[in-house]
Amino acid sequence: MLAALAWRNLWRRPQRTALSLASIAIVTGLLVFMLSFQISVYDTMKEGTLRIFDGFAELQPVGYADDPGLDKAIDDPGALVHEATAIRGVAAAAPRVNTFAILANGPRSYGAAVIGVDPASEAKISSIAGAIRVGRYLTAADTDSAILGDVLAANLKLGVGGRVTLLGQARDGSVAADVLTVVGLYHSGVPELDRSILEMPLARAQDTFAMDGAANTIAVGGPTLAGVDRALPALRAIAGPSKTAVLNWEALEPALNDGIELKYATSMLLYLTLVAVVAFIILNTLLMSVLERTREFGTLLAMGMRPGQIGAMIWIELLGLALLGSAIGLAVGGGATLWLQHTGIVIPGIAKLTAQFGLPERLYPRLTPLSALIGPGAILAAILVGGLVPYFRVARLTPALAMRAA
Amino acid sequence: MRTAPMPLLLVLSFAGPALAAPDADTLLKQTYDNYRSTSSQTTVAMTIHRPTWERSLQMKAWTRGESDALVRFTGPAKDAGNATLKLGQQTWVYNPKLNQVIQLPASMMSQSWMGSDFSYNDLSKSDDLITDYTHRIVSSGQDGGHATWTVESVPKPGAPVVWGKVDVTVRDDFVITGETYFDQDMKPARRMATNKVGVLGGRTYPLSMTMSPLDQPGQWTRIETSDGKFNAAVPAYVFTLSNLQNPRP
Repeated sequence: MLAALAWRNLWRRPQRTALSLASIAIVTGLLVFMLSFQISVYDTMKEGTLRIFDGFAELQPVGYADDPGLDKAIDDPGALVHEATAIRGVAAAAPRVNTFAILANGPRSYGAAVIGVDPASEAKISSIAGAIRVGRYLTAADTDSAILGDVLAANLKLGVGGRVTLLGQARDGSVAADVLTVVGLYHSGVPELDRSILEMPLARAQDTFAMDGAANTIAVGGPTLAGVDRALPALRAIAGPSKTAVLNWEALEPALNDGIELKYATSMLLYLTLVAVVAFIILNTLLMSVLERTREFGTLLAMGMRPGQIGAMIWIELLGLALLGSAIGLAVGGGATLWLQHTGIVIPGIAKLTAQFGLPERLYPRLTPLSALIGPGAILAAILVGGLVPYFRVARLTPALAMRAA
Repeated sequence: MRTAPMPLLLVLSFAGPALAAPDADTLLKQTYDNYRSTSSQTTVAMTIHRPTWERSLQMKAWTRGESDALVRFTGPAKDAGNATLKLGQQTWVYNPKLNQVIQLPASMMSQSWMGSDFSYNDLSKSDDLITDYTHRIVSSGQDGGHATWTVESVPKPGAPVVWGKVDVTVRDDFVITGETYFDQDMKPARRMATNKVGVLGGRTYPLSMTMSPLDQPGQWTRIETSDGKFNAAVPAYVFTLSNLQNPRP
């Protein structure tokens, strides 16, 4: 009976109720869309960035991250690669030799990272293989070939077919020197990578740098970042016996992780402000209506209704308002999100920025149970908690005083 | 080490009578003047020690004036023939396997030289401890019958140096017995100690010196000089790129 009363009361002032519903619906819709967009873009950004070079996780000798060096190595990378790729969620594992060397072409020379890679598995993890602008990527048949970033190549005045000289230090401390033929130039869109990395065949790097079949790291990739994250315990289990550590994506790209967390934190402030504003608007409207209706409540009390019942009736009015409003908001916001999820959104003028994070030009929001329900949930909770104020106010009324109220 | 070119340090020369009450500037200046014979030819062994391995390299070094030096490795076989030439601020390396001379980019100058605890910068910095720092004597002591003084050197404002300060301990016959490099937070970063002083080529000379980076326990590089000729004329062709690549006998 209380619910029926509440429902009828709501529509005694249709204009006010419609306005309240609209404000709840607009904010709910906005929250649904913004959260869906943000969560999806950040996920795409994480995967995009990690796909360029890092991979979704990495096996490396204990202590390598703090103080990398050729002498910290995985002696039998083949066995670990084999075991890692057998784990559910892991699609590829790429052994790498990582070092620094002086690259020279005639009188020009630059310091650069030199990575020995297994072309087949590397191509499944790093998008550099697909970012070749001139020439081709490394193949399993290559022996003395190298690919390098287009900026690095321009600095060295090297083109495809050119010969690049490497001079560095081998694992045993002796001088490591080699001459390689450039077969391809890549452009990843990330300036730091394009001007600082040369990739060469793994076996050749192991030979040149006296690695004796060892690798420094094994990059791990899979169809999804979430899948590889779930595979972390299994990776740790196979890595443990060989004194190898497993780094997850947060450890590989700490700056990216921090950046995303900072963005979430600042966005949360905005969302909380929206929720608070709409909650106060609704609460204000409700308090006004409670004041207006003091005489009505007095009459109800005089007729024998208990103050708690009147409070409950007001609270149910509010519940109805909030439920209906957020349902409309969810429908509109969710609908818009689903539509844009299909067509995508192009934000003009950010192509450079998006390329930096390995993002496509067209961004897609993605409606998930989480992104759909956080906003409406927060608004419902805020309004219903705020609704306790009029509830207690009504509960204190006495019939005689209330009926004489202005 | 950073204060003197590495090959020059290999030929540190100390001559002249002991002074009684030194002034910090004069003491260091005198020590440096004695470092630098106008030229030198030395035979040096370098031992690089790491927690997991140790290796020893043999080399011959020639120096001319303050900043020109040629170092050619003679052993072991794996490294023999590699050479480094420094002329003024420029540094070239020669690798026999490639038969190529490569000029070092400025960005690589702080990298390790031949895998040791010395950087290429150590090869190329000459007397900046004299010119870029202010000096004062902070303590005195005794070392094997010699008086010693420790000179604290603090960079002059704006000087292009990486150290917070350098403490140098010098004997009364101008032999450096120790050097401690402090980082910008005034924490000791690396330390060089003279292990053995003897007579070489007619002068009192630190025959063995060890450099230890203090943040890497179990890691050091020792240089031992076994043969030296000082102030003898070194032909000009020694310090040329063609001699770097095709050494004349």
